[in-house]
Order: sequence, then C-alpha cells, then structure tokens
Amino acid sequence: MTSPPAPTDIDLLRATRSGRADAFAALYRRHQGPLYRFALLRCGGAGSAANSAADVVQEAFMGLLTGRFQFDPLRGQLQHFLFGVARNLILKLEEAGRRHLALVRPGTSDDDEDELELDLPDEGACPLARLLGNESAEQVRHALALLPPHYRDAVILYEMHDLSYADIAAVCQIDIGTVRSRLSRGRAALAKRLLPLQA
Amino acid sequence: MNSRPNHDAGRDPLFDALRADMATLDTPPAVEQALLQAFAKQYPQPTPRRRWYQAWSPRGWALGGGLAGAALALVAAFSVTLPRLQQAPSIELAAAGNRPLLVRADDGDPFIALDSAERIEDEPAPRMVETEVPRSTLVALGLPLTPDNAGDAVRAELLVASDGEALALRLHDESDERWIAN
Repeated sequence: MTSPPAPTDIDLLRATRSGRADAFAALYRRHQGPLYRFALLRCGGAGSAANSAADVVQEAFMGLLTGRFQFDPLRGQLQHFLFGVARNLILKLEEAGRRHLALVRPGTSDDDEDELELDLPDEGACPLARLLGNESAEQVRHALALLPPHYRDAVILYEMHDLSYADIAAVCQIDIGTVRSRLSRGRAALAKRLLPLQA
Repeated sequence: MNSRPNHDAGRDPLFDALRADMATLDTPPAVEQALLQAFAKQYPQPTPRRRWYQAWSPRGWALGGGLAGAALALVAAFSVTLPRLQQAPSIELAAAGNRPLLVRADDGDPFIALDSAERIEDEPAPRMVETEVPRSTLVALGLPLTPDNAGDAVRAELLVASDGEALALRLHDESDERWIAN
C-alpha cells in the first residue's frame, strides 16, 4: 500500500492563504532547515550568527505570510525564492551593521571580482563553532566565514545546498558567468586556506 | 540547459564533514511558535456558530420545559373536557311561577352560583355539563383538602351559558357519594 504523495509547495501555499494553519506549519517545517543552515553559514562570521539566522528565517516566513514577499511559482522553486529573500535580509543586516560600526572598506563591491579580501570574523563566541564538534567541519566553516559575502553566497548554495549555477544566478540576481567566477574564486580561496587540511 | 553537469563529482569533498555536521541543525522552536501565533492573527478562526439550543442555559431549559409541560397539561385537560362539553345534554331550569329558579334542588344538593343572579336569570339557553375538576382548585370554595386527596379530581356539574360561560356549579364528593354544596 502506497502513501499518498506529499502536497507540493504550491498546494501548501494555496491552503495557507485560505487560512489553514497546518499547511503553513508543513510549509515551514519543509523549508526551515535548509534556510536556517544557509543563513547560519552566511552569517557565520558574526558572534550572534545563530540569533541572526533565526531572525532571518522568521522574517522570511513572516513576509511570505503577510504578502510582503510575493512568490511567483513561474519564476522558480519556493526554496530558491526563500534563499533569495534570506540573502537580501542578511545583506540588509550587514549593511546596518557596517553603518553601526562605521567600518568602511573601500574597493569591496559585489562587482569587484579582481581583489579577494577575507573578512575577519568574530572568533570569540561563534555558536556554530560550539555546535560543530568535528574539527575538519569547523575548519571549513571558519574558512567559509572568512570569504567575502558575495563569494560565500555562491559557495554555500553550490556546495551545501546543491543549487545549479542557474539557480544561484536567480537567487543572487547575477548572471551565470558571474556565478562561475565567484564560485571559482571562492573555492580557490578556501583551498588555499584549507591546504593543511587537504595535505 | 544544464549549467552543472556531473554536479556530484564537482562537489568539493572538503565540505562533506560540514554537510554532515549541519544536516541536523534546525531553526529554534520559538521561531515556529512565533510564526504560528502570527498566522493565527493573520487568519483568525471564526467562532463556531451556536445552534439555538446551545444558546439556552440549563436554567432556561428548566423554565422552558416547565412551560411546555404546563401547556401539554392544558391541552390534555381540554382534550378530556371538550368532548364531554359537546355531548352534555342541555337542561332547562324548572319554572316557578313566571320566573325560572336560580337553584334547582336535585337530590337535595343545590348549585353554587358562579355569576350574579340576574345573569343566571337572563340566560336564555343554559345547559348542563358534567366534568371533573382538580380538588386543589376548589379549596377557595371550601372543599376540604388533605395530603391524601390533594391529587384527586372531583366530579362536577356545570350550568353553562350559551356563550360557554359557567353560571353555576354543583360538586359531587366521591368519598361519600353525595353532592356537596357550599
């Protein structure tokens, strides 16, 4: 006896909009894990990464609920849409953080592909470091956190979430060529930093 | 367009440990609770419509039941007395001289006047109706009432006007098999 097929994201969204809390809960439980892990790694450099990641997930789903973020099924999968929403929310958080700390780093725009700078993460109280018991995993996480945000996006989505170049291009709102370039540079920077681990 | 041929082969094994370690990380449960609360505000559930019988309190049910019981008792009483009213033979008051008698002695027991003498005298077509009356309703007329006979009925003969109004009453006590008078 086969179980009935799981409802699609579209079905759950439609039921959610008709007021069914169970559909909204199912939609949340289906997507919260990958979204949280993306946000956690993406915020990995900050000491409050876990809180920021949870806030980002909550705001993304809240926006989906209130209609602040409109998902168009014709333009891709819901999960990729949520990745894009989370990325934009994180960019806003980072921008606010930069303004707050008055840290100006000239020459590091998203389009600057020539110069690879490494962010300096807060090494103090990183919750992910406490969560990850595996030493090699922690070293990769640390190296990932040192990548500039626009490289980090591509590497996390490609390596951790199995997105294609086209999907990453849609999430980050860049062209595929830029995805290839950022991914290549990001992986090269990671390899350089993780050389001892690979040896 | 396949922009990622042989993707699995292209995944960096350096990330294997990180992927495995993070696979079980989930958003804190408080986030789901907050979202479900927000959902409840966004889509408030309509309160279920109460049926008319759900709107009544137990006290209301008791009152309604009492009234319904009383109404049923009245209907039952009418259903018993109405056929007798229709079948009761009309009687004529015996005339004495030029005037009809107000009270005609019948086996020595007089009628009790329930209306004025003029009204009884002027009634052109009175008739006699035999019925039963609860003893408890006749206490005002002086009928003795005890706990033993409180639920009994008393046979009665009514002198009824043509418009249905009772003009006079004569009771018959079942206990001593005699007509009683006030």
